[in-house]
Amino acid sequence: MLRTLQKLCRNTLFRLSLLGALLFVVSLFVSLGYIYFATVSSDRRQVDKSIIKEIEGLQQLYEDEGIIPVNREIILRINSGEGLYFLRTATGLLSGNLEPGNIDKSAVELFGFVPGQRGPSFRLQEFTYSVPDSDVPDLKDRHVRAFAGYLMDGPEPEAEILVGRDVEAIMRASNRVKNAIITSSLIALVLGLISSLYVSHWFARRIDDFNRLATDVRAGYLDRRAPRDYSEDELDLLAEHLNAMLDHINTLIQAIRYAGDSIAHDLRSPLTRLLTRLESAASEIKDEKASDTLYSAAEDAAELLKTFDSVLRISRLGSGERREMLAEIDPKPVLDDIAELYEPACEDQGLSFSSFIAPNVLIRADRGLLSQAVSNLVENAIKYTPLKGAILLRAGIVRGGEFEIAVIDNGPGISAHERQRAKERFVRLDKSRTTPGSGLGLALVDAIADLHRATFVLDQGILSEFGEGLSARLVFSRAVSVRPRVNKKTMQIVG
Amino acid sequence: MRILIVEDDEITAEYVRKGLMEAGHVVDLAGDGDIGLEMARTADYDALVLDRMMPKMDGIELLTELRNDGDKTPVLILSAMGEVDQKVQGLRAGGDDYLAKPYSFTELLARVEAIGRRGYPTATVTKLKVGDLKMDLLARTVNREGRNILLQQREFRLLECLMRNAGQVMTRKMLLEKVWDYHFDPQTNVIDVHISRLRSKIDKEFKTPMLHTVHGVGYRLQA
Repeated sequence: MLRTLQKLCRNTLFRLSLLGALLFVVSLFVSLGYIYFATVSSDRRQVDKSIIKEIEGLQQLYEDEGIIPVNREIILRINSGEGLYFLRTATGLLSGNLEPGNIDKSAVELFGFVPGQRGPSFRLQEFTYSVPDSDVPDLKDRHVRAFAGYLMDGPEPEAEILVGRDVEAIMRASNRVKNAIITSSLIALVLGLISSLYVSHWFARRIDDFNRLATDVRAGYLDRRAPRDYSEDELDLLAEHLNAMLDHINTLIQAIRYAGDSIAHDLRSPLTRLLTRLESAASEIKDEKASDTLYSAAEDAAELLKTFDSVLRISRLGSGERREMLAEIDPKPVLDDIAELYEPACEDQGLSFSSFIAPNVLIRADRGLLSQAVSNLVENAIKYTPLKGAILLRAGIVRGGEFEIAVIDNGPGISAHERQRAKERFVRLDKSRTTPGSGLGLALVDAIADLHRATFVLDQGILSEFGEGLSARLVFSRAVSVRPRVNKKTMQIVG
Repeated sequence: MRILIVEDDEITAEYVRKGLMEAGHVVDLAGDGDIGLEMARTADYDALVLDRMMPKMDGIELLTELRNDGDKTPVLILSAMGEVDQKVQGLRAGGDDYLAKPYSFTELLARVEAIGRRGYPTATVTKLKVGDLKMDLLARTVNREGRNILLQQREFRLLECLMRNAGQVMTRKMLLEKVWDYHFDPQTNVIDVHISRLRSKIDKEFKTPMLHTVHGVGYRLQA
């Protein structure tokens, strides 16, 4: 549940549509609030105004003529109007249609007279009152808005006066509007949430289509296309554009491949001819010196072609078309073969060679390419490790379940800042200029690693008097350990 | 041997022909696939050398046609496209060997002679014999002049390959392909080291050496 929620929150469209829904709810709330303010609340202000006017009239009457006319006036108004009143002096209630006893507020609360304070202070009061002895429910707990204060005879209050209105009807209307506002906002919120969930789900599904497509294309399946619904909406148009783009890319790749093949054919044929001519001339010429020159010219031509070949190979690997040929293989026999192939050559050059290769692992690889990559690494190590040096071929599962093939030597190594550059095409680090090679060996390994989605890392090897050494590692992330199969036949052979 | 070369590049074809003739073979040339197929159907050749990329009919098409006719003449495919999968495609179509351009003529010669001499695959052999060197493929034993020679597995396969092509020059590339199944060129002299180890076992203690180095080309086992 929490996870789905987290996932939802990561969904951009869900966040956006939720934000939209929230903004809508807020603006709805504000505009309804304005309606409330303009209608219900304005009614209340009207009531307040009329009360204040009445109080001011009564006060004026008191100042001009005293308490008796005020009392008379109030009695007149009780009989004719809708107002609620009471007038009380120290001797008792003079007039009124509101029993102080039926009000849910005390006199102190109502009038709050502070002795010694000057001037009448009328204050707005809100309270409920119940008509005495009434069984009609409608006459109980009715809302009243009133102004209460003192009629002042000099510094001393002479009478308490209260003028109010029954605002029950207005209050009820106001409450209804308030509730309506809250309810409609909540409904909008829920609907907004549902719609953003729906929209994001729908959108996420289509975005997922695109993501899946991108993953497939990156994996080398260039023939995949985005599904279209021909609605011509933005996503459908995006799909159309993407598909057109992929078509274009595909055409370009085909063109490059074709160009590559044609160049290979067009350039290799004359170069092969050159080779053949040089060789045949070398064999025909009697003069031994001239013949040797021709042979070495032929060798140069062959070297040139080999370099050209490697460049083509790297480009073709880069296109990823061979990725479909990868299969689950056990790397052990492949690596054992390489070890077996190079061990004598190492010994011959005065290098000690050892290999440790873990059994019972499956990785997704192509035998030929894997052999070539590891062979390049071993040859590289042989080339740069001085006499009496050591080379180690080690393969096995490392932390995190990755399968790592490492060729480690104790030669001079490559300094940290040059390691990345060493993997680029035609890059030969300065100190190695004198040794033969085209600078394509590690680039080819890098291309092969890339095709396998493996990481190719160059790092410090074994420290020795020659330098810090080099460890070249190919790390395959998706390796599977398999249980060793106990086989009677192999047991016998081992035994 | 009578050899047919089907190659659209005249100059290459002419040089290959000249070289093969100097080596003692009878050579015919065909300039494109149509003519090549016609010639291969009418005359009896010991080996065909097919260029893969040609106008009209390409090498693979020609080969497929030929094999559909039931013609089993050994075929060497030449191509500017040296990728392993294309090699596989060529071999699957019925080619007996595949050589990527650029090749040296000596490599081509060695391969043409190897496939031409091999002839039709005979019944499975269990014993090989070259001079006084004998190999039992079932018991996996080797002896020379009656003396047992202990070989490691790979040395055994290397010797087997040389014995099957006895008298024949095997280039380093051919050995690497046939014995190790590697289709790339190692920079170092790996094959030479393996050969010298094998040589120390089969030749060292005997009067006449059998494993000869053919300078600049490869190795030959000969009685």
